[in-house]
Amino acid sequence: MIPTLGHLAVIIGLAATVYAAGAFVLGGRSGDAAVQASGRRAMYAAFGLVAAACLAMIVSLLTHDFSVVYVANNNATTTPPFYSVISLWAALEGSILFWTLLATGWASLVLYRYRSRLPALMPWVGATLALGSAFFFAVMAWAGDPFVRVTPVGTEGNGPNALLQNHPFMGLHPPLLYLGYTGMAVPFAFGMAALITRRTDEEWLAVVRRWTLVPWIFLTMGIVAGAWWSYAVLGWGGYWAWDPVENAALLPWLTATAFIHSSMVAERRGTLRTWTHALVIATFVLTLVGTFLTRSGVVNSVHAFTTSGIGAWFAAAILVTLGAALGLLIWRLPDLGDRRPPGAVVSRESAFLFNNVLFLGVTFAVLFGTLYPILVEATSGARASVGAPWFNRVNAPIFVALLFLTGVGPALPWGGASWATVRERFAIPILAGVAAVVAALALGVDGAAAPATLGLATFVLFVMGDEVVRGARSRARSRGEAAPLAVLRLATRNRRRYGGYLAHVGICVMAVAIAVSATLGIDRTATLHPGESMTLGAYRLTYRDLVTERLASDPRVIETRAELTLAGPQSGAIATALRDYPNSATAIATPVVRTALGEDLYVTLLAYNPRAKTATIRVFVNPLVMWIWTGGAIVALGALFAIWPDRRRTAVEAALAAA
Amino acid sequence: MAPGVPRMRLLRWLALPVVLVPLAWLLFTGLGTDPRVLPSPLVGKPMPAIAGMTLDGGTFSSAALLGKPAIVNFWASYCIPSCVDEHPFLLDLAARHGSELGMVGVLVNDTLDGARGFLDRYGQVSWPTVLNADSGISIDYGVTGPPETFFVDARGFVVARHVGPLTQAVLDDELAAIGIAP
Amino acid sequence: MRRLALPVAVAAVLALGGLVALELLRPAAPVTQAEEARGIAGELRCPDCQALSVAESQTASAAAIRREIVGQLAAGRTIDQVRAYFVARYGDWILLAPSTPLVWWLPALALVAGVGLLAWWLRRGRGESGPSVQAPARDIRAQIGEEVEQLDA
Repeated sequence: MIPTLGHLAVIIGLAATVYAAGAFVLGGRSGDAAVQASGRRAMYAAFGLVAAACLAMIVSLLTHDFSVVYVANNNATTTPPFYSVISLWAALEGSILFWTLLATGWASLVLYRYRSRLPALMPWVGATLALGSAFFFAVMAWAGDPFVRVTPVGTEGNGPNALLQNHPFMGLHPPLLYLGYTGMAVPFAFGMAALITRRTDEEWLAVVRRWTLVPWIFLTMGIVAGAWWSYAVLGWGGYWAWDPVENAALLPWLTATAFIHSSMVAERRGTLRTWTHALVIATFVLTLVGTFLTRSGVVNSVHAFTTSGIGAWFAAAILVTLGAALGLLIWRLPDLGDRRPPGAVVSRESAFLFNNVLFLGVTFAVLFGTLYPILVEATSGARASVGAPWFNRVNAPIFVALLFLTGVGPALPWGGASWATVRERFAIPILAGVAAVVAALALGVDGAAAPATLGLATFVLFVMGDEVVRGARSRARSRGEAAPLAVLRLATRNRRRYGGYLAHVGICVMAVAIAVSATLGIDRTATLHPGESMTLGAYRLTYRDLVTERLASDPRVIETRAELTLAGPQSGAIATALRDYPNSATAIATPVVRTALGEDLYVTLLAYNPRAKTATIRVFVNPLVMWIWTGGAIVALGALFAIWPDRRRTAVEAALAAA
Repeated sequence: MAPGVPRMRLLRWLALPVVLVPLAWLLFTGLGTDPRVLPSPLVGKPMPAIAGMTLDGGTFSSAALLGKPAIVNFWASYCIPSCVDEHPFLLDLAARHGSELGMVGVLVNDTLDGARGFLDRYGQVSWPTVLNADSGISIDYGVTGPPETFFVDARGFVVARHVGPLTQAVLDDELAAIGIAP
Repeated sequence: MRRLALPVAVAAVLALGGLVALELLRPAAPVTQAEEARGIAGELRCPDCQALSVAESQTASAAAIRREIVGQLAAGRTIDQVRAYFVARYGDWILLAPSTPLVWWLPALALVAGVGLLAWWLRRGRGESGPSVQAPARDIRAQIGEEVEQLDA
């Protein structure tokens, strides 16, 4: 009964989105507000319907209704309620259902917020969003129906994918990432609307900027949470493996970040319109490429869902979307015409443009590396792999250059810089950076990557610090404000600039943490008998006992724990385990991560021998890892600060619009 | 308007096929292939030697296979359902071609208890299973994971490798290639 | 003082660069076999996992390959020979960093082309349009900013 209602909701939702698309096109052509309003209402209805379908799926999962194939494949009677609920997005069909919920949710939100603004653009924005949602409904209606039934009904299901039920982060990372992915449809829709109506103006740019930043924040948090999940669950001591699906999340993030920077130039100079459109289109198409990679079975990946016929649908969607968007862009090229560069060679504009080239360089490298195995196979039938050694070596220099530009941009004035300005703004930060490198080397920090990144980050922080101090000082002088108040006012009166700086502080923190943890970590593996110890760095681990028992929360799962006593900078009793799931060929690691400000101690059980009671244990000391997550949070906070509505600015904008 | 301008505008449209055609080709060829199926560099080369203890306590050497076509089947008890699915085909193969076809199983990272339990449950086999305790044989054959099956001709040359469970269609094709009439 | 700051900074960067160059020229410390083994393992794909290298993976196959690498190095084989040993068995698929030179050069070429194109555009634009330091367009945002400042004062 309930699954049937869910299925029905999907079918009606498809009809609603198709109707909405039609209504928006007709209403856009005729300018009839009533027709457009009915399109809007159809989109709200579609959102309500897919929400009902999601609810039906969640109820089916919670009640272990194994007549639904999806439930039988991804749930068991013993699955805890939390993992039952999040199984909504743990496998292919459910994830598309959840995706549709978010896509229609964003669409409804945007259509509601702009229901009485931007009258020329909105019908076309609505039409694009409705078509996008209709595609996902259609996938569910034909290729990936989440409510397919089975007879005879089994009494027990397979249970969720073992990797995905081993950590609560699974409840956080996919929704954040999906919110980012699906949200990128909004700037794309505004892009299409602007091209159709030939209105690539300032107002449009401001809206698109804001609506790129919102999903960008989610995408950033989703990527960082994904890295954290990988670190906490997969048990190999790392957090980023350049897995095709990780790359798929990074690609739209890179182009969206490029857009956020170039749009500032575009806004200030009223130029770069073609480029702006190209980035918006690329970002959206890359989110589709990501879905394609995850859901088509063309790549091997931790995240790849089971192979299905859905791949062809997504391939077609990529081609149609890219073809339509590119065609529209070429068609409108004469209207966009911006042939002159926006600033001098040495100017903030140029720094932003070089930043864009570098971001696109990383995008190209990551895309190429991800698709290369498919390319090789398609051309020669041979198999090739591209993994971390390649991605790290190719991208590290570009990321270093990007970090450098993070400091250069804010130091250069708009328009162009005189030699005197360059001298004044760069001298101290460069010296500070050099001092940081020398200090790092003197303190015995090994290798090249960590000292270099530290030096660059110091350079960037000094440039920004200098900028804040100068601004606050002039404010304090002209208004007579106390220093802290001046800094606060300066920041809240220029949210975009100082929010951006805060995001850059986060980037610096992340960069240093990544460079240090990647090059200065140590690890050791040992096979111990009970009572034996191993040491790594300042830590000493004594292996006490091996315990095997069923999990209280899910008795189908057998956990074998190595119980250890830890001594050193951190101490206490710890237990690192391997869990045997009935539906997984290999045991799933449950690493212990002891986090501290300076370093993480990371302990995994690799293997054990129940008869001899031996345990093979791998221990990592990973320096500064928590600062990667913290840096990510600072980046997201900075972006949030930047887009936080400024009440007085909104009031003035409204007054100006009315005038 | 200068005469060159319309032509330039037409040329811009070339960007569409230039981008879309290769992309379409790449996406749809990619869809037609399975990333888990790997060609083996061993095909066309002599089979790597196999020697060692067997599950029933004896020893095995691949010299025993010389002179007749053979299959080398990598399996494990934890490989469910693939190894279970292909097991009846192997039993049937031994029953029908036992005299003209050499067969050997190789365990992949498995325990003796696990492997014996698997055979108790799904059917004892007439051919030897080599223990491969140090995974040396897996490395020599470039095995990615069970089940994998190598088809070797009477001269001892590897003719084909199949990744994943055996099916009747696969057996019909590959057995013919090593000179066994199905 | 201020005039000297930038030259001093540039000199400091140059000096640091010189130190790094000297460090690089100094004969490298002999690499231990364990380090060599780790290096090779880091570049081989773990056969039964996704995207991880043999060095990172915990599977039994990865452990077996690590043992094999250590054994072969101990037996006096070179890094290239060990790598070739695995390629002969698993194919190029086992290499996480492909050996085809084009794969390495293409991203670098794309980047150089991008930077070159942008630099050319910026310089050409400056030549065409005379002094390029234009007054910023007085846009609606600037106007809002000013009004906000006035409200604020």
